[in-house]
Amino acid sequence: MSKAIAAPPSTAQRLWHKWRFHLNIALVLIPLGFMPAYFERAAMFRGTLGLGEREVGEFAVGPWTARIAEWHVGEPDFEGQAGYAKEFAVALCQTCLPQVKAAYLRMGQPRSLRTAGALLSGSPYRQIAEVPVPKGANADSGLWLTVEGWDGAVHQTEIPLASASPSLITWLERQPGARP
Amino acid sequence: MTRLSLSALLALAALGGSTSAMAHGMFCQCQGLADGQVRCHGGLSDGTALPGATLDVIGYDEKIHIAGKLGADSSFTFAKPDGEFYVLLEMGPGHTVEVDHKDIAKP
Repeated sequence: MSKAIAAPPSTAQRLWHKWRFHLNIALVLIPLGFMPAYFERAAMFRGTLGLGEREVGEFAVGPWTARIAEWHVGEPDFEGQAGYAKEFAVALCQTCLPQVKAAYLRMGQPRSLRTAGALLSGSPYRQIAEVPVPKGANADSGLWLTVEGWDGAVHQTEIPLASASPSLITWLERQPGARP
Repeated sequence: MTRLSLSALLALAALGGSTSAMAHGMFCQCQGLADGQVRCHGGLSDGTALPGATLDVIGYDEKIHIAGKLGADSSFTFAKPDGEFYVLLEMGPGHTVEVDHKDIAKP
């Protein structure tokens, strides 16, 4: 009668058999730690926390009005060769919605409608644009909202960048070569 | 290959396959050439080339000096116009990037 001798388990097998229960518990617990951040983010996107992280105010633009908010307070996003960009959210007034064809945001005065900046997109009740931060931007720069109506009328308003995003100004002042 | 190492490989592949949520902005970089020409190269920051994208050379008076399109190599070369101008790369309304003539690197 022959006897089969079982090969001794490898180190990996031993470790797996010893810790597999704990590892599975960790896989359940680790995502729980991210839940508060997840729920806050979900509330942001749902709009229950407001238009954005920091509401700037309501501004008249021609015959219309628009509420503007900083989507995230803090440093702008780095986008590689495209430089830095900052997200803003805009809610046009209820009566404007059927009259407005498009709205754009830009740092610095636009030269023309073609250069009006980033196109706001999303739900009519909260449109978002990623606005590039130009090299020369500083506390004296303005955030320009351009609104184009279906009748061809174009209206613009300037919001001082210092009030539109104080966190961006703080970041700009920290950049090398920033104006003292 | 044990079942354990197979699972570990699958987990690594899943992690590696997930991409970051980085948006991709448009860029346009212009360089002056020795023969009085300017070469502009445009694209998206994720490396996407934009062959066929509109690139216009516009005077400060909003007159279009040169109406061009990026070539297959995502670049466009033009003779530098006299006076003040800017280069406008446009993928569509609201998707533009400008380069002022003062920001064009000298040869």
